Amino acid sequence: MLIEIKNMSKNYSMDGVEVDALKNINLQIDRNEYVAIMGPSGSGKSTLMNIIGCLDTPTTGQYLFNDVDVNSLDDNSLSAMRNKEIGFVFQNFNLLPRMNSVHNVELPLIYAGIPKAERRERALNALEHVGLTERVNHKPGELSGGQRQRVAIARAMVSKPGILLADEPTGALDSKMGEEIMLLFNKLHEEGNTIILITHEQEIANHAHRIIFIKDGLIYSDRPNSLFDNQATEMTE
Amino acid sequence: MQLEESIRVALSGLAEHKFRSFLTMLGIIFGVASVIAMLSIGEGAKRQAIAKYQDLGVNNIIVREKTMTDEELEEVRAKFSQGLSLNDAQVIKEIVPGVVRVASQAELNTDVKYADKSSKSSVIGITPDYIEMLNLKLGSGAFINQDQYDHDLKVCVLGAGVAKTLFKHKDPLGKMVKIDDQWFQVIGVLQSKTLFTETVGELASRDLNTDVYIPLSAYLNRFTQENVLASEIQQITIQVASSDKLLETAELVKGILQRHHFNNEDYSIVIPYELMKQEEKERQIYNFLLGAIAAISLLVGGIGIMNIMLATVMERTREIGIRRAIGARKSDIMGQFVSEAVAISITGGLIGVVLGVSLSLLISVFTDVNTFIRPYSVFIAFGFSVLVGISFGYLPAKNAANLKPIDSIRYE
Repeated sequence: MLIEIKNMSKNYSMDGVEVDALKNINLQIDRNEYVAIMGPSGSGKSTLMNIIGCLDTPTTGQYLFNDVDVNSLDDNSLSAMRNKEIGFVFQNFNLLPRMNSVHNVELPLIYAGIPKAERRERALNALEHVGLTERVNHKPGELSGGQRQRVAIARAMVSKPGILLADEPTGALDSKMGEEIMLLFNKLHEEGNTIILITHEQEIANHAHRIIFIKDGLIYSDRPNSLFDNQATEMTE
Repeated sequence: MQLEESIRVALSGLAEHKFRSFLTMLGIIFGVASVIAMLSIGEGAKRQAIAKYQDLGVNNIIVREKTMTDEELEEVRAKFSQGLSLNDAQVIKEIVPGVVRVASQAELNTDVKYADKSSKSSVIGITPDYIEMLNLKLGSGAFINQDQYDHDLKVCVLGAGVAKTLFKHKDPLGKMVKIDDQWFQVIGVLQSKTLFTETVGELASRDLNTDVYIPLSAYLNRFTQENVLASEIQQITIQVASSDKLLETAELVKGILQRHHFNNEDYSIVIPYELMKQEEKERQIYNFLLGAIAAISLLVGGIGIMNIMLATVMERTREIGIRRAIGARKSDIMGQFVSEAVAISITGGLIGVVLGVSLSLLISVFTDVNTFIRPYSVFIAFGFSVLVGISFGYLPAKNAANLKPIDSIRYE
């Protein structure tokens, strides 16, 4: 099992008021799954994503990533985890505006201590993989929204992480570009990557093979996507 | 993160806000420049002082006739003192241990003439030891030797100023000059000396370049003092083996002279080395103050860096969040911002070095103040500026590193 969450809760205080963002969640995600996590805003889906992405830690309960207890890791190990195992794709791309595409993509490899030549080659390969060979020397400001998100996906994939975490990846794009990005995710899934999508749009969620609904910090439903009947039967077995 | 990446990011940060970076640097620039300029002024003063005392001889004790009015002179003569004499010099040389050389000198202010030109000079009768003791350097020819001294030869060595006045660009060697009413042959010319502008003890300031040296034997035989009460010689210079024996030797000399002069204080004893040490102490306090003022301006520069770095960290909160999300450790973020502060201080430091060096050159060219830049002062100033960058960049960098990635990535 790639991800195993047991009896996990998260609460934090906001302006002195205790908020239970997640209540006793149990969840398992296997390698090469394609999961959409859905829910209205404030449901706790972003908190869940942050914890899965090692940006945040749960208050109680256990989170095992590849059988490693993430709660027990120190700050440096969490950084290494984000660097090597997690690929983030954000709604607003979160590229560094002063750097060109290839340098943005190289960034995780820099923190991983990969030598310059190898870094450059892997970054160019990643950009080629997302179809941006022509735009490697452009800065984010010189790219369209769809192209920026492709750069962000290339950055997320460049260190070959165990999991790709996408938080509303099409939220800032028009529907045509959004569809293109979703096709790219589908392709990455077919190549064997594990993908978790956070979205509130059914249309986007429909690309995934498993859909989890979260509401008020609880898992409301967790079912295979009926559009993929084959996998659905497989999973129930 | 690799160092190369830190530096690259730091420099691009500077380039992005050129004007702001420059303003931040100004504090460091002026700080470094003033440290260098101040230290060079202090060093210049020190070198000038050392040169002055070297001219007087750091291992020398100088016994000088006191300048006295005619009445005072009559009084001491009535009390049996003969004034400074060759005999005093002889006794000192024989009795006092640790004395290497003793040179007597007699002086006369008179005109020295060649052809139609004339120069007001101090004619000084000396013994051949003199050149070894007083740091005189020959420009051409030779100094008076023992043989010439023993035979009372009428030869002279000209100070650079006298030679220039009398001979312009001609070669003075071998020419005859008229001193008072006597003819002397020029056998040597001294190198030019810096002006002796300060009074040291009983030694009045004078221009050493107008000196004319002749053998003391010839002096005593050819010239007569106008004042019959005048003493035989005006100065005895005593060279001791090592400078730590100066004070006790001076005490012995004083004892001998007291006896020989029947307790008349018609002479004074000057120890250039002791005066130099005393002056050095006073100058150290002064230099310390100058340095402290310069250091304060560097400190203010450092606070400027801290201020701008705190603003930069705020501005780039989101960038920090992104970097943390893709795997930057706290230490990577820390290194990035410290590098940026250091980049500002190094660049400012380099500009400051250039400014400081030019400033001290300009000071020495356009004012009477002597400056001298020792390499170590440049390294100190520059090193201090880098230190300021590190220490004042530390707090903002630590703030940056301690930002929670989850909060900073959402920061707008």
